[in-house]
Amino acid sequence: MWDIFLVVGIGFFIGYKGLIKEKGIRLNSKLQTVWLMLLIFCMGVSIGRNGEIVKNLPLLGGKAVLFAILTALFSTVVVYLLSVLFLEKEGRK
Amino acid sequence: MSLLILAVLVLGIGAGFFLPADISALIDSASSYMLLVLLFSVGIDMGLNKEVFIRIRELGFRILLIPFGVVVGSLFGGFLTALLTHMPVKEGLAISAGLGWYSLSGILITEAGNPVAGTVAFLSNVFREMLTFIVVPFLAGHVNYYCAIAPAGATAMDTTLGIISKNTNATIAVLSFVSGVICTLLVPILVPIFL
Repeated sequence: MWDIFLVVGIGFFIGYKGLIKEKGIRLNSKLQTVWLMLLIFCMGVSIGRNGEIVKNLPLLGGKAVLFAILTALFSTVVVYLLSVLFLEKEGRK
Repeated sequence: MSLLILAVLVLGIGAGFFLPADISALIDSASSYMLLVLLFSVGIDMGLNKEVFIRIRELGFRILLIPFGVVVGSLFGGFLTALLTHMPVKEGLAISAGLGWYSLSGILITEAGNPVAGTVAFLSNVFREMLTFIVVPFLAGHVNYYCAIAPAGATAMDTTLGIISKNTNATIAVLSFVSGVICTLLVPILVPIFL
């Protein structure tokens, strides 16, 4: 977990101190999409290569999907209610 | 964007399944480095927006509302799923308390002597992360930016921070990171409570 803090911190420092220029900023934004896609691909590989998960998918997958949907859904509902009550104007586009 | 992500994910699962084990192992181990590269890039974005921290200071303790909402909503979702699938309520709460952190929640529950619930925890939190990738662009575009952080749970500080940042703004990216850190710290406390 500390490596996460470290890289975000270093990136933050570079951005905050203005160590990269306009061109670099635009490049960084484009590369972010590339990193994201590569990461998702890697995530897929790590799921696909795990025989246990693939084998257990049909058996326990249904329950797991329901857990995933309901936890994500109610998290969103509660955060929505709290944001309307206490935070709304900050989060508008 | 969501469709592209889904396609890339399915492609990855296929590759993981069919590629020779040594190649897929290499790609798998590369993912933790990819994550760090992505977070470095997100960090630069955060640093560029100096006014963000003024706004976060203005929010004060209200910044805790998001992780609070995430935890309460997740546990309620887990409670409901347990009822619907005729599972012990405590088991359902433990699974949902993983908040998307699949590796830890699955291991904690399996080691506590319940490998079946451990597997469900692992899978459900993997699915939660996948679902987050798909719904974040919709939530950010049609509901509000705060809601885009909610489905991510603990992953809002790492794996899903990139997509949240991409679809919202720098203030929300910082809020997302903070919310993810708080959720991440809560997972090892909450899961054992329900075991």
